[in-house]
Amino acid sequence: MTAIAARLTPPWWLRSNAGLIGVLVLIGAVSIVGATVSDRFLTLGNLLNVYEQTTDLALVSIGQTLTILSGGIDLSVGSLISLTSCLTSGLINGNPDRVLPVVAGVLALGTLVGMINAALVVALRVHPLIVTLGMGAILQGVTLLYALGPVGRVPRSFNVLAYGRIAGIPIGATVALTLCILIALLLRYLPLGRQIYALGDDANSARLVGLRRTRILMFVYGASGFCCAATGLYLAARFGVGQPYTGVNYTLASITPVVLGGTLLSGGRGGVIGTMFGAFLIALLNNLLNFMDVSKHYQLVAQAVIIILAVSIYVERRRME
Amino acid sequence: MKAIIASCLSLACLAVTMPREAMAQYAGAPRTFLFNPALDVCIRDTRKFKKAPPYVIGFANAGLGDSWRVVGLHSLQKAAHDHADVVKKLLITDAGHDDAKQVADIQDLVSRGVDLLIVSANTSQALDPAVTQATERGIPVVMVDRRVDSDNFVTFVTASDAMMGRLFAQWIVEKLNGKGNVIILGGQAGSSPNENRVKPAMQVFGAYPGIKILDTVYSDWSPVKGKQVMQAMIAKHGRNINAVFAPHGLQVPGAIEAFLEAGWKGSEIPPITSADMNGPMKMAIKNKFPLLDIDYPPAMMGTALDVALKVLSGASVPCVYTINSNIVLTHGDETPSIPKPDMYVEQHVVADGPDDMLVSGGMGPGYNPSTFKIDYPH
Repeated sequence: MTAIAARLTPPWWLRSNAGLIGVLVLIGAVSIVGATVSDRFLTLGNLLNVYEQTTDLALVSIGQTLTILSGGIDLSVGSLISLTSCLTSGLINGNPDRVLPVVAGVLALGTLVGMINAALVVALRVHPLIVTLGMGAILQGVTLLYALGPVGRVPRSFNVLAYGRIAGIPIGATVALTLCILIALLLRYLPLGRQIYALGDDANSARLVGLRRTRILMFVYGASGFCCAATGLYLAARFGVGQPYTGVNYTLASITPVVLGGTLLSGGRGGVIGTMFGAFLIALLNNLLNFMDVSKHYQLVAQAVIIILAVSIYVERRRME
Repeated sequence: MKAIIASCLSLACLAVTMPREAMAQYAGAPRTFLFNPALDVCIRDTRKFKKAPPYVIGFANAGLGDSWRVVGLHSLQKAAHDHADVVKKLLITDAGHDDAKQVADIQDLVSRGVDLLIVSANTSQALDPAVTQATERGIPVVMVDRRVDSDNFVTFVTASDAMMGRLFAQWIVEKLNGKGNVIILGGQAGSSPNENRVKPAMQVFGAYPGIKILDTVYSDWSPVKGKQVMQAMIAKHGRNINAVFAPHGLQVPGAIEAFLEAGWKGSEIPPITSADMNGPMKMAIKNKFPLLDIDYPPAMMGTALDVALKVLSGASVPCVYTINSNIVLTHGDETPSIPKPDMYVEQHVVADGPDDMLVSGGMGPGYNPSTFKIDYPH
């Protein structure tokens, strides 16, 4: 009997993330609609195209998932993406020799900004929402002090990050997927991972059992900053140039895949695998709407409908449990 | 007697409509190409893109949002309708002036298996890698109206900003006999259509020491703001204003209203330049002041489809395909550089059309952008 029960139990990555079923169902539904719209929709070529277009949203949302899991949120992501993207192209400025140092520097800067967020949350005892909102405003200001318009350029070889493929597999998206799997494993198998869940689930209990909140938040917000920097690098490669407002839409957009993937906004439940699928669902949906010749304005409406649908599926499941 | 007048009128109407029809049917090399004094002109060999019809053509549009782009889109749809025998599908995406969306649109169109891409780039730098990637994948790209920075496309369909700017300026100089005060009634400061027309104009004005630029003001392409800034100019300079250089017609109706309301009798209004818009021509006919209109025709979007079909048939095309701009003038305002315009305003104006209508879309009589609908393959 136990053996049967064990066999029927879904794998950990599915079990730890009940909302994942919702997002998979929605991906299935969008795929079926797509297949009826065009016989090209479900081809490998188009699915790889969608996978490629998942990259930016996946990267930023993976970091956002961690902050939400810990019971917080990071509203500085959009500005940090703008800043890192501008710095990438502004500092490289077409010189291939500068690529490596600038990439390393930008990733370090992103991580540092995230850790400053965490330090402020701890030191000021202010909700992350306020701290990161303020940090976002500061970073946007700094970005505009650095560049009022498109700045610098990246060498052609750098575009590989956004457009390059190895054996047909998009490089950028695979980097995001690898990062996602690493963080999923960390959340699952390292004590730090479980502590993030514990902190998000009940901060008071976490404090009572002696969890080191500062350390956890440093990691969570540092990782979010790192992910923003990676997104900034990716966008600089995708557009060939940094733009001071390039990240502005990502602040709220980064929350959508998290919610779609079944992570509770109040923290403590969910995971990055669901977020990855959530980002894929959004890219797939936008792709479908393009196939259906639906205008950009309806695309926003459709995204909102999907979010509400996904959340209601999740709520329904929780009620049944 | 009535019958004679009626028949005379109908004959006159016929004469008025004929040149436009004749021009619409002209499918040869653009006049700017024929007039180009350079010996060596970049020509693109397109034999490698040669394909048997029918074709699936994608159009990644930067966005709509002003009447020029709406008419342009309609002219493209009309061209697809006219070529339905070889165009199997025209797939159109609208990026809403968002670079990120347009990059994804281009990738999606490639994924949908287009034979050729027409792109009007939202910004020249940020769309460059995406256009370059499509080209590298072997998709011929025809740019229209707005290009990308690199040359990684087959051809760029456009009209000549420089020709507009220089000819506008030269005509003003000649109308003023080389001596007088000019107001530059700009569009949007820093925007490429503004800068690319004003700069060549300044090269011409600069050659005439008697020409003085009183002020350069900006209207943001709006007739309302055009009126406000011209009112301010009239208050400041009064009758010292001898000519108005406007790099497009969008703001011009407001400027003319400002003159009329300030008490300038119709024919006292100084020579003024315009493009594409119906309103200034109607006002010039009614008030009898000198007007030079050189179009920047949204019909270039339809031309882009014609050029696309040339590319797919393997015919070589110029690397920059500059379409013909009509030179339209009020009667009696011919000058040595424009001894005879392509048309007089009476032939170009749509007398019963609204002021904000663009007359250079090549859409034929009876066209109304707000009700236009055409069945094109998609």
